[in-house]
Amino acid sequence: MSDISEKVLAITIQVLGPASRRFLERQTKFHLDGLEFDDLKKEHIPELAKWVGISAQLVVDEKKASQLAEKIKNIS
Amino acid sequence: MVQWYHSIITKLTVAFVILILVIAGLSVLYTFGATKSALKETTQDELVALASVIATQIDGDILAALQPGDEVTPEFITMRDQLYAMQTSSPEILYLYTMKQTSDGIVFVVDAEYGISEDSAGIGDVYDTPTEEMKMGFQIPVAEHEYTTDQWGTVISGYAPVKNATGEVTGIVGVDMSATRVIERQDFIGNIIYLIMLIGIGITAIIIGVISKTMIRDIRSLNDSAEKISTGDMNVLVTVERNDEIGELAGSFSRMVSSLKIMMMDDSP
Repeated sequence: MSDISEKVLAITIQVLGPASRRFLERQTKFHLDGLEFDDLKKEHIPELAKWVGISAQLVVDEKKASQLAEKIKNIS
Repeated sequence: MVQWYHSIITKLTVAFVILILVIAGLSVLYTFGATKSALKETTQDELVALASVIATQIDGDILAALQPGDEVTPEFITMRDQLYAMQTSSPEILYLYTMKQTSDGIVFVVDAEYGISEDSAGIGDVYDTPTEEMKMGFQIPVAEHEYTTDQWGTVISGYAPVKNATGEVTGIVGVDMSATRVIERQDFIGNIIYLIMLIGIGITAIIIGVISKTMIRDIRSLNDSAEKISTGDMNVLVTVERNDEIGELAGSFSRMVSSLKIMMMDDSP
């Protein structure tokens, strides 16, 4: 797993809990051209953050979803 | 729905009100006791000061010379008028009189109200129950430690020695203050303290009630979400945000619900 993948997962778990990995794998698979989550790179972050912000609204409220997207976006 | 008497609001409010009652009760007991003592000491100091000042205005030689039957003499009338004027000039003074020691014991000499009030004492009337402080008054200015009750009512008294031209003590001047006035003052302060305590308890109960209510509101919100999930309704959003333990519980619960939703999405066709 790449460093970036680990950072994204660590942040997401704090909001979406233990199923975060499954959630993120779905996002990269469907919105980042079938990219494996473990192969996530820095250049994928803006697009991933955008889709996390949208998809997370299905499981948490809008505020938490946008906060999570913002945190992912700020990963360096 | 939890019964009101099992509610955390009720338990918290009752517990804190009891706590405040115990603390305030002990404080009131101590404060009221200390205030009563202080008030009494102040009254005693006032009496000693008053008696001392009045004693300097009385002619000790005349006091010593006055004998039963002298009530019509100019010396007696002058001294009585002088005492009466002092008594009426101060609302604090209930009775003002002079006394001296004879072979019969301690006797009245000049009563400020002689000829004015029916229950006043004449020259030579024996005071039946002299106190230690009254006897001590022949040596130094002193006030009674406790209230004394006699045929003239319940009073607190102060005494000061009256001296003649050569500096010998020939009698005492007695100043009585009505105990009612002192007790009224004590009761007033006591009532104020009780009022402050009641207001404090009321304000505390309101604050605790409000704090408990916000806690209960959030716990109920979490409970409602759990109820929905337990019946298969996953359309739940945990919106409780707090910085305390309830907030931590809400965070954990929210993560659990989110993960459940994600897993159910994966399983759905």
